Amino acid sequence: MKKTLAISVVALLAATGTAQAEWPTDRPIELIVAFAPGGGTDIMLRTLAPYLENILGAEIPVLNRPGASGEIAYTALAQSNPDGYTLSSLNTPGFLTLRIGRELGFDPAAICPIARIVEDPGALIVQASSPYQTMEELVAYAKANPGAVSMGTTGVGTDEHLAMLQLEEAAGIDITAVPFAGANEAKTALLGGHVTAIGLNVGEYSIADQNSLKAIGQFAEERSLLAPDLLTAKEQGFDVIQSSERGLATRCDVPEDIRAKLSDAVDQALASPEFLEQAKQQALPLSYLSGAEWVEQMPGRLERYTEIFSLIEAGR
Amino acid sequence: MSRSTSSNRGDRPDLLTAAIYVGVGALGLWAGRALEFGSLASMGPGFVPTIICFLLIGIGVWIGALGLRRPHVPIEPMKLRPILVITLAIVGFAYVAAWLGFVAATLFLIALSSLAERNVRPAETLFLAVGLSIFGALVFVVGLGVQVKLLPF
Amino acid sequence: MEFIDLLALGFGAALTPENLFFCLLGALLGTFIGVLPGIGPTTTIAVLLPITFFLPPLGGIIMLAGIYYGAQYGGSTTAILVNLPGEASTVVTAIDGYKMAQKGRAGAALAIAALGSFFAGTVATFALAIAGPTLSGFALSFGPAEYVALMIFGLLAATILARGPVLKAIGMILIGLLLGTVGTDLSTGASRLTFGSIQLYDGIDFIVIAIGLFGFSEIIENLEKTGSSGVKVAKLTRLWPTREDFKRAWPAVLRGTGVGTFLGILPGGGATLASFSAYSLEKRVSKRPDEFGEGAVEGVAGPEAANNAGAQSSFIPLLTLGIPSNNMMAMMLSAFVIHGLTPGPQILQSQPQFFWGLVASMWIGNAMLLVINLPLIGLWVRLLTIPYRLLYPAILLFCCVGVYSLNNRIFDVALAAGFGLIGYLFRKAKCEPGPLLLGFVLGPLLETNLRRALLISQGDASVFIERPISLILLCATALLLLMMILPNFRKSREEAFKGEEV
Repeated sequence: MKKTLAISVVALLAATGTAQAEWPTDRPIELIVAFAPGGGTDIMLRTLAPYLENILGAEIPVLNRPGASGEIAYTALAQSNPDGYTLSSLNTPGFLTLRIGRELGFDPAAICPIARIVEDPGALIVQASSPYQTMEELVAYAKANPGAVSMGTTGVGTDEHLAMLQLEEAAGIDITAVPFAGANEAKTALLGGHVTAIGLNVGEYSIADQNSLKAIGQFAEERSLLAPDLLTAKEQGFDVIQSSERGLATRCDVPEDIRAKLSDAVDQALASPEFLEQAKQQALPLSYLSGAEWVEQMPGRLERYTEIFSLIEAGR
Repeated sequence: MSRSTSSNRGDRPDLLTAAIYVGVGALGLWAGRALEFGSLASMGPGFVPTIICFLLIGIGVWIGALGLRRPHVPIEPMKLRPILVITLAIVGFAYVAAWLGFVAATLFLIALSSLAERNVRPAETLFLAVGLSIFGALVFVVGLGVQVKLLPF
Repeated sequence: MEFIDLLALGFGAALTPENLFFCLLGALLGTFIGVLPGIGPTTTIAVLLPITFFLPPLGGIIMLAGIYYGAQYGGSTTAILVNLPGEASTVVTAIDGYKMAQKGRAGAALAIAALGSFFAGTVATFALAIAGPTLSGFALSFGPAEYVALMIFGLLAATILARGPVLKAIGMILIGLLLGTVGTDLSTGASRLTFGSIQLYDGIDFIVIAIGLFGFSEIIENLEKTGSSGVKVAKLTRLWPTREDFKRAWPAVLRGTGVGTFLGILPGGGATLASFSAYSLEKRVSKRPDEFGEGAVEGVAGPEAANNAGAQSSFIPLLTLGIPSNNMMAMMLSAFVIHGLTPGPQILQSQPQFFWGLVASMWIGNAMLLVINLPLIGLWVRLLTIPYRLLYPAILLFCCVGVYSLNNRIFDVALAAGFGLIGYLFRKAKCEPGPLLLGFVLGPLLETNLRRALLISQGDASVFIERPISLILLCATALLLLMMILPNFRKSREEAFKGEEV
């Protein structure tokens, strides 16, 4: 009831609003980022935004609305007008896991991806001076002291959290998950020795200070090009596969032609040599998928994540 | 709360404070009644708000009890006109800005807020309203890029 | 000495005409947005970030840094002149600064604020240059348990801020803490105390509360008391501080600088705590604590020095460890990375001219700010001679625009008007709103760290006394509480007895 009311109000607003023919030059397109500034998603989109601005001839200010594994940003997107003036970052697994066992403030089906831009495998990070220099050592300690190993994540159902759940499952151990508002906060806590380990994406790790942080395993099928010397979890005997995908999304009811223009603009930006050069500098593991292709993959992934969640719920 | 005391007793500002604190605490408890409390090791979302509300109610009662025993202190007299006019002007500004743009909203705000007291000087108000809407349009909308349309069309 | 060589390298990089220009531009822009209530440096930097993308890296970052500390200067101006704190750090400046302005000493307050800020900025810049790496190691030793203890200490110390009984101030802090929990719970995603409103999903913005409680309710109360003739501002006796002012201010500036530099290093809330702690400290050590809240010059000098020092030293963890200590610094980190630079220990080795150039530019920027701000004081003070019936509509407009621009929505403005009414009630109940704002800012930090600390310790509350830093802070808190409650008890009992006899 409330939702229909909200939708009709939004529709009314849209109807009385500015003419859509002028899109996108008559006012700025807001780009909502679901994480705090300085994280992988934020940097990727801030790098991309100027290229999109050039291609579309529009202003694209970036707004950070971090919190609740992205729910705050997705809710903001779902509440925006369906006029193509609001975009949001879209991250899996967060976007998919949010809906597991929880009531959401938005309808996930109302949010449609424009494109996947990056796929970055997760990695398990400890202090460089940590007593655990391999996953095996960490697992052995966790086995002997259930709950004593704490792992900083960026929230419930984020990729680090899922990887951690898989590791608990694969190794039969109990780790304490400690949520932080972003990768930087988690990194600070790790450097101070307040948590035992954190999860970072391989891309984030490869530009971090490697004198103080050490990756002890990556959660990929095959070693990432960004970290060819880092053993995968599988190679160390633990079946943990977890990556994070980052892309752009908008409301599904944004007019078809506007969404097509947006996805063309992303295509063009990703093809520009300058952008590729910058992406390389920032260690962005580019892995483009069109919105449609990405949507197609989602149900399969959701199923897997739901399984991971339920295994843990059952274990408690 | 203050009715139970004779008129030469009771620090009214303190009693008002007590009423606010207890009221806010009770409101918080009511609004957060469905939140999971959790345990010390794994606090639910309701843990901290519930504790804050109970502390607040406790402090409110304490202040109220002390205030009742104190000699009478009246609350400063209130005037309704500025309260109503200024609040209406502020809220109206937002609505007008969203529908008719910044210039109309500024003119509205200045005109209405000048009614907050009795001797209105129409010429001066008009002059001020026009000046401020030009200044505001240049600085906020053009200069700082505040996202609001300037004019109704 | 190597340090001198490096600083020379830095000045060499910062003193190019181009970088001087960016520094000046940033400082000017910062002062300007600092003066406008509601439009904060975080918003401005977020807007400007894409533009700096096209500037040379050092120039772009120098400009962004300039906006940040420039806004600290500008923010105190509105706090002093019209009792409007634009951000958490200027809340305390408003307490005594505004009273000084009403007593015709706005010029003195502004000058002390500018000079104190410059001094503090200089010291903190050199602290960054000399001891940055060492200091940041200390910051890392602050884990969740330490933060909980620090926040509790800071909140309690804030009760000294308010005139009037301690109990009322504690109640105000609690209301602030409660307001801080509104919105989505970070760790579970549950929405709390939002009354089903989707607009409260993201929590309440600081600006909405500050402008409501300070700006709007002040205007309503002034109009009610004196009509449009407004508060009587005493005739301006002299523009500049007296020798007596300087004598009283300089120890306060020194203490404020120390407090600010130290707390600014701590990631998360340190810089916010700085000005509050400095004020509490000044009131504690002062021989004339009664004058605080009535226009004590120390009450302006200490917090102003602390907030500027804190603003500078919050760069320390960013530049030396690559860790942003607050939202602003996170934005700076994004700026660095977009320019292909990763702040952290490597940058000191690989690009020393960058690190030292930024450090040098901060000092230059602070000097520029002093030169910009001192002559402006005359102009600002003249602003107070404008009749109130012309001034209050303008203040209303600035406040409304500031609140509206947060998210471009009506809801925020209406909410701020609501807080205006609540603030008006608080005034009638003789409750000071300062502690509420501190509770609001620190509340979420306190809660997340409390939850984290107990999560890591698996529910064992002894972490707070097992860790030395946290133990010390908690002992200090207990001591402070005793010192405050004992005399208060006595006083209220005396009053009650007096009442009995009458």
